[in-house]
Amino acid sequence: MLELQGLSRRFGDVVALDDVSFSVPEGRMVGFVGPNGAGKTTAMRIMLGVLTQDAGDVRWRGGRVDAEIRRRFGYMPEERGLYPKMRVLDQLVYLARLHGLERQDATAQAKRMVELLGVPDRMRDRTEALSLGNQQRVQLAAALVHRPEVLILDEPFSGLDPVGVDVLSGVLREQAEGGVPVLFSSHQLDLVERLCESVVLINHGRVVADGRIADLRAADPRRLLRVEVADRAEPNGWIGAIDGVRVVEPLPDGAIVELDEGVSETAVLDAARAAGRVRHFSVVQPSLSEIFRRAVAR
Amino acid sequence: MSVWTIVSRREFVERARDRGFAISTAITIVILVGIIVVSAILDRGTRFELAAVGEGSDEVARAVAAAASLVDVDVGVIAINDAGTAERAVDGGEVDAAIVDGERVLVRGQPPPQLVALIQGASIRQRTREALLEAGLADEQIDAVLAQGPLPVQSVEPVDPRRQELSRVAFIGVLALYGQLFAYGYWVAAGVVEEKSSRVVEVLLSTVRPSELLRGKIFGIGGLGLAQLLLISVVALATSMAIGRLEFPSGAFAVAGLVLFWFVLGFFFYASLFAVAGSIVTRQEDLQSTMTPLTIAIVASFFIGISATGAPASTLATVASILPFSAPLVMPTRIVLGEAEAWEVALSVTLSVMSTAALIPIATKVYARAVLRPGRIKVRQLLRGV
Repeated sequence: MLELQGLSRRFGDVVALDDVSFSVPEGRMVGFVGPNGAGKTTAMRIMLGVLTQDAGDVRWRGGRVDAEIRRRFGYMPEERGLYPKMRVLDQLVYLARLHGLERQDATAQAKRMVELLGVPDRMRDRTEALSLGNQQRVQLAAALVHRPEVLILDEPFSGLDPVGVDVLSGVLREQAEGGVPVLFSSHQLDLVERLCESVVLINHGRVVADGRIADLRAADPRRLLRVEVADRAEPNGWIGAIDGVRVVEPLPDGAIVELDEGVSETAVLDAARAAGRVRHFSVVQPSLSEIFRRAVAR
Repeated sequence: MSVWTIVSRREFVERARDRGFAISTAITIVILVGIIVVSAILDRGTRFELAAVGEGSDEVARAVAAAASLVDVDVGVIAINDAGTAERAVDGGEVDAAIVDGERVLVRGQPPPQLVALIQGASIRQRTREALLEAGLADEQIDAVLAQGPLPVQSVEPVDPRRQELSRVAFIGVLALYGQLFAYGYWVAAGVVEEKSSRVVEVLLSTVRPSELLRGKIFGIGGLGLAQLLLISVVALATSMAIGRLEFPSGAFAVAGLVLFWFVLGFFFYASLFAVAGSIVTRQEDLQSTMTPLTIAIVASFFIGISATGAPASTLATVASILPFSAPLVMPTRIVLGEAEAWEVALSVTLSVMSTAALIPIATKVYARAVLRPGRIKVRQLLRGV
């Protein structure tokens, strides 16, 4: 288990992290979610030793993480970076060596990675000659080449096309199934929802919610409905007329609404039928963005 | 293999493999060999070709050659049958002058004054001899009168040919050191900027300590600089010896050894400063301005170093040969020319090593603090609390 215990860090007067604690169990993929400037990158940099914390600890398998242990971590920083003039294969071999692999092993692993990520025909090219998408793949290879025990990826999906997203999702799933704890940050909440069993929600340097998405949903007491009424000039105008019902998320042809205590679903359905032809009516679970919005508001 | 040696190996191999590096090394070697060969050709002793036509000319010509050899001038004598051929030979430049019938000298345009003086001298001597014969003197008497050697020439200031040659070799040494310190120092700075601007540094720092990264970079690039310098020295020395350019090879070897030794001292002194200059900017374009103080220090030391090849005992050269920033470009010359006292050398080396040892941890701290920050950073900010 990878654990963060009471991490704090300031930059001058700015508090970037304030007593941040959470854990990533082995074999679990955890989404790290929060608005820009919430402290995700700072937390990840501290885990990798690129930054130092003012207080708190990072632990792996119960022991405090030091430089030797970190060499077995895999990292993909938000600001991607590779040597532009170095050949792809040489670059991966070099990084694998820095992570402690012997020469032969490093070469074999680097070749495996370019195969796995579908760029074997470019491995003798200079990195700068590759398309951005392929450079992204090499960047991922750089994080994986040394068979890391822990994977930490900062916005790995940003800038990827749908095919790239699928490739990366597959690779990360495989890593987690192999027992590696995978922590990644993302703004694409639907993607996090699809990929991760657990999430950590962070805002202004504090963890506002964390745990399994199913548990967070179950803990959300709100009753939400999705309603669509067809053929209206103003699709959601009728909702305001019902007491104890609020729109939480307008949709193109309807809305997600929240019901206060005491308001029954049938009352909403009756009002909808009175307003026009009801095309959709369902009970919905709060989405990750709903859970996040609520956690931040608290 | 420790982490910093892996880093230094990359720095060495990636740069050595670069085509630009191979080309610039080749160009340096070609230029250096060219200079050695050309200067050897230009410096070869003076030689004239002299034609002798008709009666009496041959004796004068041989007298010219004999007199010329006394003053280190080589004169070749060619016998030509008729004046017409001789004139064409003079006109075509095959001979520098022709003596016709022992009574006139044929030259083309402006004659070489040294040759004309030799011919005049020999001719006057020849005619004097004939006049004395006519006056009834015996051959032995005439020979005794005319067998006079040249006057001894005494220099007020003693000339030391060994010193002249050493000073020439030292000049090349200073030139090489200057180029090498500058180029490889710049490479350290540019290498730091490359890692910063490509942002690969964050990937690296997740597994390598900043101090290891910096040490690896300095040793790798310095090692390459030393290897290149060694290669250039070997080629230059071998060429010089092959064409017999060096009268005192041991002195040239000493210069080469000193250049290599002082490159190491100077490079390590400057390298950590170049790394700092690189770490406080993010773009290559901004590097020139942060390197300016280092550029000035190296260029100033270079000019002092050049002046020291002519005046190694001057106060400026003496002081500069002891200060760590200029010593690498000045001290080797003073040592080779025998002007440096043992204590001066010891002091200079000690100061160099000590200041480098003091500089590296400070530079490493500044580098570590600066290398992840974007934009242009003030050094003063980074030095706080170092």
